[in-house]
Parts: sequence; structure tokens; C-alpha cells
Amino acid sequence: MMFFEPFQLPFMARALVELVILGALAGTVGVLVLLRRLAFVSDTLTHTVFPGVVIGHLMGGDGGIFWGALAAGVLTAVLLTLLTHRRRVSEDAALAMLLTTLFAVGVVVVSRQTGFTSDLTAFLFGRVLTVNEEQLAQTAVVTVVVVALLAVLRRPLLLRAFDPEGARAAGVRVGLLDLVLNVAVALVVVAAVKAVGTILVIALLIVPAAAARSLSDRLAVIVPLACLVGAAGGWLGLVVSYEASVEHGVRLASGATVVLVLVALYGLAHAAGAVRRKVGLSRARRRSVLEAA
Amino acid sequence: MSERTPTLVLDRASVAYGDVPVLEELHGVVHEGEAVALIGPNGAGKSTLIKALLGLVPVVRGRIEVLGRPPAQARRDVAYVPQADTLDPDFPVSVEQVVMMGRYRRIGWLRRPSAADRAETAEALERVGLAHRARERFGTLSGGQRQRVLLARAIAAKPRMLLLDEPFNGVDAVSQHALLEAIGSLKEQGASVVVSTHDLAIAHLACDEVCLLNRHQFGFGPTGDVLTPERLRATYGGHALELRGDRVIVTQT
Repeated sequence: MMFFEPFQLPFMARALVELVILGALAGTVGVLVLLRRLAFVSDTLTHTVFPGVVIGHLMGGDGGIFWGALAAGVLTAVLLTLLTHRRRVSEDAALAMLLTTLFAVGVVVVSRQTGFTSDLTAFLFGRVLTVNEEQLAQTAVVTVVVVALLAVLRRPLLLRAFDPEGARAAGVRVGLLDLVLNVAVALVVVAAVKAVGTILVIALLIVPAAAARSLSDRLAVIVPLACLVGAAGGWLGLVVSYEASVEHGVRLASGATVVLVLVALYGLAHAAGAVRRKVGLSRARRRSVLEAA
Repeated sequence: MSERTPTLVLDRASVAYGDVPVLEELHGVVHEGEAVALIGPNGAGKSTLIKALLGLVPVVRGRIEVLGRPPAQARRDVAYVPQADTLDPDFPVSVEQVVMMGRYRRIGWLRRPSAADRAETAEALERVGLAHRARERFGTLSGGQRQRVLLARAIAAKPRMLLLDEPFNGVDAVSQHALLEAIGSLKEQGASVVVSTHDLAIAHLACDEVCLLNRHQFGFGPTGDVLTPERLRATYGGHALELRGDRVIVTQT
């Protein structure tokens, strides 16, 4: 059984648990990112966490990565919220500057180390096969915190995403809510650094949510579906990269393979969604013809 | 009429975004069960006044009182109806869910909607004539129907004051009729209504009072008294034409 066999190896089992949890977490948060059209803001966050990762590693080795990323993530989430609430600055230009500046800081710091290309690759693209139990625990804690936060705030978050003026009029503290979502995105990035690196997280956030959206118009379906697609992508990605590397001698980086599998799942979902809409339309047409007759 | 409780008091009020004054010297009173139309050209400050009534834009001079309180403290009893076409039609929410948003304040963060919440939602949709579309996605409805759904959301919140921002823009006749009916029944139940509009006919039809605005106030009072050719010409500048002495066409809004 190629789908389960590899995971008898302890490091593969840990990688599987990490990616499945991460996929589910990113899927959930991703739905909100999609609804709020925050893909670029989220992408900025993935880059601004990077210098935190580098500095954390410098100060505390592998164990320092999480805390460095956490500090940078929360800090830049606050910064981004302030930035996007000041309408005078052209928003995407400001984001692009912030993104590249902090990313460059990270690269400069890491390039002062000897053997930095290996570190750099690990920070950017992750090394899911070396995930240890402590990192698994960190991912689990982040997942519980973020999911609980979003569950409690689901109504104001939904109202704010759908109708920001209406939310303000209803007394919702929009600025605070936006900060919460930005911090949630930052936390997903932090949790994902070890597994897929800072660059590929954005795919984990966007792709499962987009796939779920093309299959359903109902949030009650979209959220669990995005979780499922995220988790399935993690699992299948690992299987594919393991099979290719071990059975066929083609080395595939696991993080990137997960992303490609996710995109393939999105393709399937999109096709299925197109068929569903066509069937729905012709049904509606038939119904209206019947009603007219 | 004057024995009724005043629900909106504008007392020489000026409203500003930062240092830029948008509206100056507003003065007038609206009572419970009355509707006031805000009329003026684009950029006159109608939307800004609505935001000021929600406490989202500060009053820099004078005083605005909503339901006897400063605007920001009255929000609980005030419902706002945005223009439907400002909302994303692709957003995955059903009509029912949108109306339920009007109940969010009462439901709170954690509780599930109660039977009472569901009943209020259903009744509000009934009142705008869209109960049969409850399960459909909001964005699949026509512009006028979406506007009615947003009014239903406001009704479900059981407000004492209703603020509508250009609800009749690009709305078909059926939806316009449904909106006017629903607004009328809210008034009968004692709610006050503030509605910004370009449409003088609707102001005549639905509103007891009119506030003519263009940065300053050009008149505030009973519809028949205020909607005069002279005042409309003053409000709209050169863009008002007089017809047969007693009618006015506004050529540019």
C-alpha cells in the first residue's frame, strides 16, 4: 500500500502529522483570507516572518526558529494592520516595500553565516522530514489557538468580510478584528516554517480555500472542505515525494511537492465546480421552462 | 406632531473628516415615526451625515443627538442599510445568512441562533417579499432584491432608527414598491427613518421631512415646504431647471 506504507518510518509519520495538521489549519484561515481578498497581505506576512526565522536560528539554533518567527510574525501583523488602515499610502506599494525590505534583511543576515545556502534553502522551502516532536507540539498548539480564536469571532469576522461599513455601523471594532486575522495568518506562517518554509505557505493558505470555494457556495461546506483539501494535499504530497525519491530515484522536495499536489487538487475541484454549475444551470432552466409551460 | 419624542436632533452641528469640514451648520429635529429625506447633489455630504449619525465621523461643532444619546452610544438601536452594489456579489452567503447578520448583536459570539432569531429573520424577509429566496446565494439576486435583503437585515435588528444610503439607486419598480412598503410599516411601528436619495418623487412619497444639503443646509422641514423650486435651485446650483413655475428638474446629480 503505497499510500500508508511510508509512514511506518517514524520521521515520515511525524512529517505526515505535521502536514495534515498544517493543511487543515491553513485551509481554515485561508477561507477568511480568500473572502477578505488578503492574498497579497498574507504573502507579505510570509516574507516578513523570514528575518525572524533567520535571527531566531542565529540566536537559538533550530529551537530558536519558532520564537524568532513568532516575534517577527506578530510584530509585522501589527505593522500591516496599521499600514492598511491608513488609506493615504498606496496600499500595495507600501506592502511591496515592506515585503522586500524585511526579506532583504533576512537574506543579508543569513548570508553572513558560513554554509548559508543550505540554511537559506531550509528557511525558504522547509525540511518537513526533520520535524521533531517539539515542533509538532508547537504546530498543534498554534492550531488550537488560531481555530479557537476564529471560531469565537466567526460572526464579526463574517460581517466584516461581507460588509465593512455595516460592521462599523453595528459597532464592530474593525481595526481590532483585522489585527486578529493578520495575527492568525502570521501564526500559520510561523507554524509552517519548518514544514514548507516561508515561501510556500501562501499556497497552503490560498489553494485549499480556492478549491473549496469552487465546489460550494455555502460557508458551512467551504470551511471543512478547505481543511480536508489542505490535509489531503499534505498527505498525498508526502506520498508522491517519497515514492519518487525511494522507488524511482527522482528526488522531489517534499514541501514543493505538497504545493504542486494542492494545485492539482485545485484543478480537479475547479473542473468539478464548472460541471456542477453547468448541471445546476440546466436544471434551473428546465425548471423555469416547466413552470412556464 | 410635536408632542412625539424627538429621535434625531441636529443642533448647529458641523461634521469633519480630520481638518476638512464636510457639512456645516446642520439644524433640525426628527420625531419618532417620521422619515426624513436627505437630498442634494453627489458629494453634498449625504453619506457623511449618515456616518455622523452612526458616530463614525466626528461632530466638530454643535451637537448631534440620536435617540437622546451621542451617536456612537445609540448604535445598538440604529440600523444601517448600505447600497447593495457596494457589496461583493461573489461572497458565499445565503440571503437568510445576510438577514441573520441583523441579529448578531443579540445572538452574541458563541450562542447558536435561537428559534426567536430564526423567526425574526423569516418575518423580516417576509416583509420585503423575499421569503421564497431565503436559501439562495445573496449575489444571485437582482440589485433591487439585494437592497431589499439588506433592508430585511436592518428590520431583523429591530431598530428604533433606520439609516438608508441611496436605497433606490438603480432599483426596479417592483423592488422600489417593496422597499417603500417596508419603510412605511416600520414608520407605523414608531421607527424613525433617514434616507438619502436623488429622487424628489420618492421624497414626496415616503418622507415627512426633507433636509436639503450641499455642504451647508439649504432647508430642513416638512417636505411640501422645503422642496420648492427656489431652494432646489440654491442647493443644486445651476443644475436645476424650473418647469411651469412650480416644478423642478435636476439635470445633474
